[in-house]
Amino acid sequence: MHTWLRPLVAVLVTALFFLPLYLVLANVFKPGDAINASPASLPIPASLDNLTTVLTRPDRLFWYGLINSTEITAISVIVLTVVSAMLGHYLARTPGPLSKIVMVGLLCGLMVPPAVIMTPITEVLRTLGLMGTVPGVVVINAGYYVPFGVFVFTGFIKTVPIELEEAAALDGASRLRIFWQVVFPLLRPAAASVLIFLGTWIWNDFLSPLIILGPASGTTVTVGVYRAIGEHQSDYGAVFAFMFLASIPILCFYLAFQKHFVKGLTGGATKG
Amino acid sequence: MSATDTALPASATARTRPRGTLLPRLGTFSLFALPGIALYLAFVLVPVVMSFVSSLTDENAMHPVTHFVGLSNYRQLLSDPSFHRSLGNTALLTAAVVVVPNAVGLGVALLLDRGSRLYRMLRTVFFTPVVLSSVVVSVIWQALLTDDGIINKVLRSLGAEHPPGWLSDPSLALGTVTFIMCWQMLGFCVVVHLAGLQGVPAELMEAAELDGAGPVRRFRHITWPMLAPSVTINTVMLLITAFKTYDQVQVLTNGGPGDGTTATVAFTVITTAFTDNRTGYSAAMSLTMLVLIAVVSVVVLRVLQRREVTL
Repeated sequence: MHTWLRPLVAVLVTALFFLPLYLVLANVFKPGDAINASPASLPIPASLDNLTTVLTRPDRLFWYGLINSTEITAISVIVLTVVSAMLGHYLARTPGPLSKIVMVGLLCGLMVPPAVIMTPITEVLRTLGLMGTVPGVVVINAGYYVPFGVFVFTGFIKTVPIELEEAAALDGASRLRIFWQVVFPLLRPAAASVLIFLGTWIWNDFLSPLIILGPASGTTVTVGVYRAIGEHQSDYGAVFAFMFLASIPILCFYLAFQKHFVKGLTGGATKG
Repeated sequence: MSATDTALPASATARTRPRGTLLPRLGTFSLFALPGIALYLAFVLVPVVMSFVSSLTDENAMHPVTHFVGLSNYRQLLSDPSFHRSLGNTALLTAAVVVVPNAVGLGVALLLDRGSRLYRMLRTVFFTPVVLSSVVVSVIWQALLTDDGIINKVLRSLGAEHPPGWLSDPSLALGTVTFIMCWQMLGFCVVVHLAGLQGVPAELMEAAELDGAGPVRRFRHITWPMLAPSVTINTVMLLITAFKTYDQVQVLTNGGPGDGTTATVAFTVITTAFTDNRTGYSAAMSLTMLVLIAVVSVVVLRVLQRREVTL
């Protein structure tokens, strides 16, 4: 292939793929009439009106969503990392039928679509008094994603030499201390994968906040996008601006941790 | 805990793992394992069991009294055209979503399989939709594909008098939803295939080239077999994603146009439970779905793993 042909084709294919994202980005910075008149043109002069409209909405839909999304994502991910690292460590280091049963039971959970358990989950949450609350969304995220976390951590813990733990045990450290001071620091790459994957999945989640939070107690930014299209079917400027603002945190997160993201994604591919 | 303090010779303790009495072991179990197991039980396993129980009743969120009806919900499913339709839609969508991004992603990965900064940047572009919420992706495409959306405006300006109703024509809408999902998942497949390509030894390719193998033969006999694990990862991930399809249908078409032309099983389960309030019937639907997913996943995994071994 000619030396200039490959980069040219690569750029053209990528540009075609990127076109829908460009149209959103360009129109975030255009006033409404310009969007209709020339949707594909560059936003010159750039206008911040759409962004200001979203940020200064009287119902503060965006701000409430941002607070809820941040709370839900941060707490869920921390709980999940701690709980699934400890469970993964226990299962990887405790031989016996009980561990095997628990492991198989967890793996089955990887296949359960959220739609299947949504109705009974609302009953469980109602019983616990957590329906319509942020902690309600956090606990169901924790339960639903524990299998994924355990799966990543047990795979990784098997590569950590057990002699380290035994040495610490000989020195008289308790099992909890061994875990937090010896094992967990070594699990950082696995923790990064769990944090990044679950972080994006939970931030982007639609069904559980839609059904569990309900309209009364505010919502997440993802559900906010959905509500925004319901209101301004034709005002794409405002909807695009809402989406843009709702996606900035997760895009920054992705760009910052890009390397870990790809590593976590392909850990199995390159080893296999 | 106390067992490790006893004066055992170091060699003995190193070989046999420190074992406590029953109580400390129970303590370790409840400290390390119980929180995770409890969360999983409470929010996954117990709900599945509750779903099963409720599928044997005529539970309806609007009616106060619930009766045990045995398998009648399941019997009704056998002759429910809207459930059959959603099964068919999910099957078509899943088949396309498993094959298309996998195949196109391989093409893009081969194109971008170079180390320079330009190609790394282009990879990032392809992966961006994977990080975005499927709600956001759906709204982006909705703006483009509604009847007077940007794409149809362009088509009209090019002289098309009646541009297609991408999302409003019952014969096109499912295809459009499927296309959007393929677009979103493409970057995932590109990245996984690129990692697989890095595992193909350069010496092997050079040796084949010296032996006179052209690019097509080298791909068929070296690259493709070496990519078997990437194909497995992509297929499993796409399968799980496609089975769950709910967000795109809710945002783009709300199951329509017309009568359930884009309704997936997950969408039908949710609307039957939360819009029609027929929780018992919805539970029967969701358990049928769960069994189908389990069967398909096990079969697909078996086939792919056997392929990895024989290649």
